[in-house]
Parts: sequence; C-alpha cells; structure tokens
Amino acid sequence: MASTELLPERSLQQRPRAPQAGPLAGRIELLLELVRRDIKTRYRGSVLGVGWTLLNPLIFMLVYSLVFGKFLKVQYPGGSATVFILSGLLAWTFFSQALIMATNSIVANSQLVRKVAFPWMLLSVSSVIAALVNFAISLLLLIPFMLLSHKGVGPPILAVPLLVGITFALSLGLGLMLAAGNVYLRDLSYLVNLGTLIWFYVTPVIYPLALVQSKFSGHGLEGEAAHAAIYANPMTWVVLGFQDVFVFDRWPQHWHGLGYSAVVSLVSIWLGLRVFRRLRRRFAEEV
Amino acid sequence: MPDAVVQIQDVSKRFRIYHERNTTLKQSLVARRRGRYEEFWAVRDVSVDIPEGESLGIIGENGSGKSTLLKCVAGILVQDKGTIDVKGRLASLLEVGAGFHPDFTGRENVFLNGAILGLPRRYIKSIMDTIVEFAELEQFIDNPVKTYSSGMYTRLGFAIAVNLDPDILVVDEVLAVGDEAFQRRCMERINIMRTEGRTLVFVSHALESVRAVCDRCVWMDHGVARLVGGVDAVIAAYLSEVNRREEEELEVVETAEVDSSPGRNGVSITGVDLSGPDGPTVVLNTGEPLTISIAYESPKPLLGARFSVTFLRGDGVPILTVPTDDLQTGDVALPRQGVVHLALPGIPFLEGFYRVTVDITEISSGQHYKRLERVRPFRVHSADHREVGMALLGHSWELPQVSDRIRR
Repeated sequence: MASTELLPERSLQQRPRAPQAGPLAGRIELLLELVRRDIKTRYRGSVLGVGWTLLNPLIFMLVYSLVFGKFLKVQYPGGSATVFILSGLLAWTFFSQALIMATNSIVANSQLVRKVAFPWMLLSVSSVIAALVNFAISLLLLIPFMLLSHKGVGPPILAVPLLVGITFALSLGLGLMLAAGNVYLRDLSYLVNLGTLIWFYVTPVIYPLALVQSKFSGHGLEGEAAHAAIYANPMTWVVLGFQDVFVFDRWPQHWHGLGYSAVVSLVSIWLGLRVFRRLRRRFAEEV
Repeated sequence: MPDAVVQIQDVSKRFRIYHERNTTLKQSLVARRRGRYEEFWAVRDVSVDIPEGESLGIIGENGSGKSTLLKCVAGILVQDKGTIDVKGRLASLLEVGAGFHPDFTGRENVFLNGAILGLPRRYIKSIMDTIVEFAELEQFIDNPVKTYSSGMYTRLGFAIAVNLDPDILVVDEVLAVGDEAFQRRCMERINIMRTEGRTLVFVSHALESVRAVCDRCVWMDHGVARLVGGVDAVIAAYLSEVNRREEEELEVVETAEVDSSPGRNGVSITGVDLSGPDGPTVVLNTGEPLTISIAYESPKPLLGARFSVTFLRGDGVPILTVPTDDLQTGDVALPRQGVVHLALPGIPFLEGFYRVTVDITEISSGQHYKRLERVRPFRVHSADHREVGMALLGHSWELPQVSDRIRR
C-alpha cells in the first residue's frame, strides 16, 4: 500500500473538470433519467410492452360498453357508448395510475433513498410524468373510434392541455402526500388501491352525469349523498371536459366545475409539498 | 488555511429504536400512535471543518456514530441539531451497491448515478468507457446489476464515484470488499484525487488505510468526537484507548477467584496468578519474563502428582504444554498446602490474547486431581517485533556477499 511519503507533491493540479449542469438543468436532466427508468421498468420483460398501455383501456372500454350500453341499455349522450366511455376512461386511467405510482414512488426506490441523497421528490414527480407519457400514448386509441363514429375534433381540443394540467397537479399533490406518508405507514398503498376503485364509481366515466341528476336528485339521503360526492369530486369536471371535447367536439361546458377542480388541485400541490418536505427528514431511516 | 468545503457544526442525530413497530394501520389504530420507541443519540454535538483538498478519516468502534455522521454529511440523513454546509458536488459511496436499481443494467445505473450528481448525459456518455474499464465489467455492463456478484457491485460503485468527478468524495468501508488488486487501484485512485485537490471523507476500520490516505482524523466515541487532529496522533490515541479498555476488562478477570472447589481426593487449586517483571500483571511484552504461580491444597500430603500448564491462543488453539515431569515429582510427597511456580525467562508469544489451562494429575492413574481450563487471560504486545505468527523462535539470517548499498 502506498504510504504518505511516496505521494507526489500536493500541487493541486487540475484535471479538466466535468461540466456541471446548472441546478435547474441538473434537476431536469435527473428527472428525465428517472422518467426514462420508470417507463422502461414498466415494460421490461413483457412481450407486448407498450401495447399494454393501449390494450388495457381498450378491453375495459369494450367490457363497460357491452355491460352498460348493450345489457343495461344506458343511454349515452352523443350516441356512441364507445367514444363516451373511452374519453373518460383514458383521463381516469391517467389520474389513478399517477396516484398509485406516486404513492409507491419512495418506498419502491428504497434502495436509492437509503444510499444516495438527491431531491427525492423527483421520484414522485417522475412517476406522475411516466403516467402522463402513458396517457399520451393511450390517446391514440381515440383515433379509430372517432373515425368510426364520424366525429372530428376542432378547436376545442385546445382545452385538453388545461384538463391534463389539472389532472397532473391533482395527482401530484395527492401523490406527494401519500408517497411521504407511505414511508411511515405502508397501509396507505393498499388504501389508495381501494380508494381509487371507489373513486372511479363516483366519477361519471361509465355513466353520464345526466343519469345521476335524474335518478338521485331528491331521492332521499343516500341519493343526495351520492349526488354531492359526484359534484364535490374534482375529477368529475375533468372527465366531463374530456367528454365535451371528444364526444361532442365542443368547449368544456362546466367552467365553474373546472374552476373548482383547478383550485382543489392547486391546494393539493401546496399541501403535498408541505407534507413531503416535513416528512422527508426521516425517509432514509424509515424506508 | 483554505476555505472549508464541508462545515459540520454542533451536529447531533437522534434515532428511534422501536420496541414494537406499528407499520400497519390496525396496529396504529389500536396503539393510537406509531409504536413505542426509545430515542438514542447516535451523534452528539460534533463539529469539524474540512478544508478543500483535505482527506479526513473517521475512526471508532462499531456503533460509535461514524457512519451516521457520514450519512449526515452525504445528506441522506438529516441531523436533528446543528448545521452541515457542503460546497461543491458530493459523491457518496456507502456500503456495497450504493444506489443501484437491481433490474437495470450497469450502463443504465451509470447514467442514473451521473444524473443524480448533476452531470449532463452527454458527458456521462463520454466517460462511459473509462468507468467500464476501471470496473473491469466490459462483458457485463449491459446485464442487469442484480446478476452481479458483490465484488462487481463494489467495483462499479467505486468506478462511478471516482470517475464522475466529484469535488467531495465520501466513502464508507467499501474497500473491504473486492480483491486485493482492485483495492490497490482504488487506493491509487484516491491518492490521485488527493493530488488534484479533491476533498475526501473516509470511514474505515482498517486503520492502515486511514493512515495511508488521510491527513486528519476524527475519533468517534459513543457519538462524540473524542479527538480531532493529525492522523497519526489520533490513531495512536485511539489504539492506546482500545488497549486500555481491553486491559481493563482483563483486570476484572484477573482479580476474579478461580474455581477452588475440591476435585479428586479433595485436591483443589486455590489460585493461579501471573506475574511479570513488575509484579502481578495481565499485559506483557514479547520477551518479558512471566511467572505462573499455582496454589494448591490437599487433605493429605500430595503423592505422585504432576503439575502442568498449557498455553492457549485466544481462539483456543493450544501452543505449548509444560509438565513437571523433569522434576520427578512421582517420587516425592508434597506438603498439604503449597505454591508451585513456573517461570518463563522470556515469553515467546507474539501480539494477541492468551490463556492458560492448569492441572494436577495423579501420575500412576493418569487421572486429574483437578483441572482448570482456560483461565487467566493475558495480553501480549509485540510492537517491537517484525515477526508475524503465534510465537517467536530464535533465528538468524545470512545474506550473500553484499556488493553495494543502494542509496534511496
């Protein structure tokens, strides 16, 4: 082993240093790397790979439109059960996937969190972005069905980024809280799985909102409660917006509702950041 | 003095030790909180400044808070009190396989680790070959790291940490893994980084490695920085403390009574005492005289008895048995009570722990009157000796005709 005496003079000679990205650029670079990793992990070892992103909502859409449209004879506005269900389902899938992946984002990366310090929040952000990428791919599904039902899309499609933005913020905000909480209480990931399942039925994806209004309004306490839950659900207005754009080719009709959803999602981001920052101190010990 | 790139000020870190941990909801609801826990301060009020270009070693016993302090510096743990300021890009290498995703290939993990250090992807690409070559993983770099051996993990981890060009490198005990050749290259690499003015924080049990790479050293003792200073002085102080503690433990044993219950025919050993050049002792240097005194008692005069002493190494391997056969004790009657002395003019044992087994045997039957196994541990120091092994044997070397002295 080399002893201290054999060292060359401490001349502080400089090797060319590695370029350092700026703090923001560095984080974006890292975020991209994490997103790349999240997407790759998801499809690693599967034959169909990205095909599942298309196949999953496609099959659910077919089942739902068969059961609700054909068997239960639910009348969907706009005529086509397929496009109606699909447009809401894609938005919902984005939201629920983002939420579930974000909830697990810290615990699933315990190897990394225990050993390396970096803004761990990026793990949660990247899982929401990965869900967003999947969502963007899954939008391709709409094309053949819209062609079949002879519907086009006009300028209202410009509302989609706003709808996506609200969904993104809502799932990220809730996801940050749940990801941080999940480190300390692992039940949260099970609760989130169960919760999104129930939440799905409180969102007008497989039934039109008009149906709820006619069936529940003024039908006793339970009816009122269900009614209130659907109206208080910020995802309701996002899903309705998607249906407006893709089923009716019109601008979202419920601007009050969307405004409410936007406020809720901003509050959730603010809360999510606060909770995450507070709980992150003991991540490496508890994860 | 150059500016401190790492400033550790009054840092304390508290851990929770859970007795029954409630990580599931049911338990939490029942217990109304997250389980009982005790708090324990792993690091208390530590302050150290590390100037740019310095190599700082952290030594101490297991559980002294070395690794906790290091993780606080690396930003993985957040201290409960005090501040840590780090200027520059810090790379940490903690334990084996730091920060790898098992399902990803070595190459993908390099990109990820580079991004964590804030390096542009282009740059990582440009040094990928260097990293792969350093880690000797040319054939495996595109396999998932979960298929790697622990040595491969360590090599890749180290190759990433040193080649991604950190300003400050934080290393915890990783060099213990990996083969000798790789360890040597790591040390070389660390020395190159030192000449380049990089800052190094190095935790190790291998005091020789610490001595070889560090300028200064912190000695952690029960969470407190007991001593901060030049590496040689701190290591020397640490070693003498370790020895002192060992010897203190031995003193307790020394004063303890031996088992003096009577054995066969009521013969008992009432005491076994060690004395060195300065009287009773438990610590000796190689070559010093040692006398073992065995006190016995017997209801009748002791006839035809053989005394013997066996020296055992700390792990129980017997080195030498010395019986009293030369004294023809078979023909004599010893008094009912007495002390037998065995004197070694110079103990031949080298550095380590030793014990003795003492027995008194009836020569005619070969049966023990009384036997005391593995009593009286003692410590031997052999700082002045270059020989390695259990015991010193007399020796001399002879060289061929020396033609010239090499001037170095």
